[in-house]
Amino acid sequence: MASVKDRNASAWLLPPVPGTNHAMRANMAQFRDEDEVDVVIVGCGAGGSTLLQRLARAGWKAVALDAGPFWDPERDWVSDEAGSHHLYWTEPRIISGDDPVPLGSNNSGRGVGGSMVHYAGYTPRFHPSDFHTYSADGVGADWPLEYGELKAYYEDIEGELPVAGEHWPWGDPHSYPHSPHPVSGNGELFLRGALASGITAKVGPVAISNGRFGNRPHCIYRGFCLQGCKVNAKASPLVTHIPDALHHGAEVRADSMVTRIEIDDRTGKATGVHYVRHGRARFQRARIVAVAGYSIETPRLLLNSACKRFPAGLCNDFDQVGRYLMVQGAPQTAGRFESEVRMWKAPPPEVSSEDFYETDPSKPYKRGFSIQTVSPLPITWAEHVAAQGHWGGKLREYMSDYVHWACLGALCEFLPQPDNRVTLSSEKDRNSMPVAHFHYSQCDNDRQLMEAAQGAMEKILYGAGAEEVITIKRFAHLVGGARMAADEQRGVVDADCRSFAVPNLYITDGSVLPTQGSANPALTIMAVTARAANRLIAGGAGKATKTTQPARPATA
Amino acid sequence: MTALPLDANDGGGRFPGFDAQGQSSRWDRVTQGVVLARLGRPTDLRFFTVAEEAAARALFDQLLDQRQEPRVPVVNMVDARLAEDQTDGWHYEDMEPDPAAWRSTLAELDAEARERHERPFAELSCEEQTLLLTDIQAAEKWRGRQASRVWSLWTRYACTAFYSHPLAWDEIGFAGPAYPRGYKNLGLNAREPFEVADARPAQDPAPHKAKSETGRQR
Ligand SMILES: Cc1cc2nc3c(=O)[nH]c(=O)nc-3n(C[C@H](O)[C@H](O)[C@H](O)COP(=O)(O)OP(=O)(O)OC[C@H]3O[C@@H](n4cnc5c(N)ncnc54)[C@H](O)[C@@H]3O)c2cc1C
Ligand code: SF4
Repeated sequence: MASVKDRNASAWLLPPVPGTNHAMRANMAQFRDEDEVDVVIVGCGAGGSTLLQRLARAGWKAVALDAGPFWDPERDWVSDEAGSHHLYWTEPRIISGDDPVPLGSNNSGRGVGGSMVHYAGYTPRFHPSDFHTYSADGVGADWPLEYGELKAYYEDIEGELPVAGEHWPWGDPHSYPHSPHPVSGNGELFLRGALASGITAKVGPVAISNGRFGNRPHCIYRGFCLQGCKVNAKASPLVTHIPDALHHGAEVRADSMVTRIEIDDRTGKATGVHYVRHGRARFQRARIVAVAGYSIETPRLLLNSACKRFPAGLCNDFDQVGRYLMVQGAPQTAGRFESEVRMWKAPPPEVSSEDFYETDPSKPYKRGFSIQTVSPLPITWAEHVAAQGHWGGKLREYMSDYVHWACLGALCEFLPQPDNRVTLSSEKDRNSMPVAHFHYSQCDNDRQLMEAAQGAMEKILYGAGAEEVITIKRFAHLVGGARMAADEQRGVVDADCRSFAVPNLYITDGSVLPTQGSANPALTIMAVTARAANRLIAGGAGKATKTTQPARPATA
Repeated sequence: MTALPLDANDGGGRFPGFDAQGQSSRWDRVTQGVVLARLGRPTDLRFFTVAEEAAARALFDQLLDQRQEPRVPVVNMVDARLAEDQTDGWHYEDMEPDPAAWRSTLAELDAEARERHERPFAELSCEEQTLLLTDIQAAEKWRGRQASRVWSLWTRYACTAFYSHPLAWDEIGFAGPAYPRGYKNLGLNAREPFEVADARPAQDPAPHKAKSETGRQR
């Protein structure tokens, strides 16, 4: 295998001090709207950035548009909870259903790097079983590909982020390129409680370099990972893929909100994207369009791109767009200890257990959950306390006890359901684009998993010596909404992320996931995209002359 | 700066001498700018009308138990957020976007107070205010809305403002920004030289009952 640097030199292109490579940005390629680029990518997050880097390396003329800014971590990010509000997607959205899912800070990012700028940094793989839950358990869906077809891409991305952790015994057992980080009081209690209750827990897997990686420094254990890592220790595409993409001639066009994909009614092919930049409506021509705007914005954009050929929305002839959107049930249980835990020190992602990941035939529910450390900062912790009904003096008293609490979070595999979906509302945003309406209701299996996960977390915390536990019910990690499937009646794209309806339209973000397992999704989103990129490059779909060979053979 | 007044029974004085701001020379400049601005003169009100201001002040004093000066200027902080539309963006189908929801729920709060006592919320006695809020929190529906959604709107904004303030951090032992300094001493009962140990570690807010409680986000 080629060294990471030979495949992706991002970490070596950053300056050797915190901050960004300003000269590289200033000198970046600038395509003109009239140029027909090989590919225009909508969204520069987990999926979009990976695609951009892969295609730029293969010599494609590639430009990625992002609605948000091109972050300069030194200038734009702070080591403060309330001061990080601008990292989130806070454009208007409407939520409904029996179990409406709050969005904003809790769910999606904007700007170059996408949601990974403020994600926690857990990067587990999916298990082999995730790819055929329908055949095995009669729930969820079967993917049009199996784990084995992603494995090599998982390994590649784990090297590029890079991921630190102990040898991983679950799913397809594997090791990580970086050794595990030391743990804080929170992780220590998880490990102790797990041991006491006969549950296996391991340190990792986190996309935080342990030791210097290229010019990226070691983590300083400051605990503000969810506010954007100013240190450059935590992986996000802004530091892991964008530098290499720019170095290979890609353009990143920030502050560019794409409002519609244009389709030529005669050929049925996409011709480019309409976008708004600095108040002006513009159109970028492209031979291939790839959408990677996150599970809410991707379906919204497709639906808003209705045209004569696709009156019900782009790629929506079979009423699949926006459906089967999933969140993970993410209850968090905290325990009170007489010792001082000070859980805000060190990165929130430290230790996890996948002991409950797979279907347990002795249980009434299918599929499972994972458990991980989470370490809410004061404002988020106040939400936990307020959720117990405390206010006034009692709230202040609980809060004064903050140093004594440890907190775990579970990720429950909620099942994909057709009515959990994004539609367009009559409300408009400032670009006059209809706002996304996200409807969500849980099924019985979902609720049972939440209960079971809470029970397991309580057991661990009591096992570690907790005097009292409290739980808050939450949700995390949206995926699905434009899923991949074997055919167009059951999904929007094929295994290579190519849309069934429009031959030169791709979707390369979390929207394409048919199921979610109980793993955090970013690594899988990147791996699925890296695979799609490889197939695209091998197929030569959009490009006359290649200057570089693809990193992996198409048959990987 | 003086500490926020808080009774020892409510957790006051657990971290004697702890001073989160005292570390500010160790923070990066951008963070200093953002955090220290919270200690300066509160911004003038731009969003709340006079009547809304009165109701909001009384509401925040209740929710955060701020009974005397110095206070964290929560009403100014929330007003600034709403004036700048610095919301989370999403809203429930059956609620307005946050700024409009604030206006209408404060109006309802006054309406409820008038129905009960013929005075607006801010003119009620402390006990009357507490009782009224206790009823709203316990209700399923309140004045045509899901009570829990109104309650979460109020507490979410209140807590975000209050617990972003360095004086509130002093009260809970949290040292605030940690860049570029980072932390060196991880683990149970491990402290940095500038951190202060809890003087009353046995003051569990829910003592003597091993228990498990569940709440719901928002
Ligand atoms: C608090 C939090 C913690 C998380 N923790 C983890 C974790 O520990 N591990 C993990 O794996 N995952 C985690 N996640 C989830 C993870 O970050 C996302 O699943 C992942 O980044 C999604 O990738 P994506 O490519 O689908 O979209 P994103 O990474 O969100 O990228 C989408 C991009 O598209 C842009 N965009 C959207 N619409 C348009 C448009 N119309 N025009 C132009 N640009 C547009 C947005 O600005 C954004 O930059 C976390 C998320 C949150 C919110
Ligand atoms: S804890 Fe480490 S990875 Fe997280 S923000 Fe701080 S330096 Fe970055």
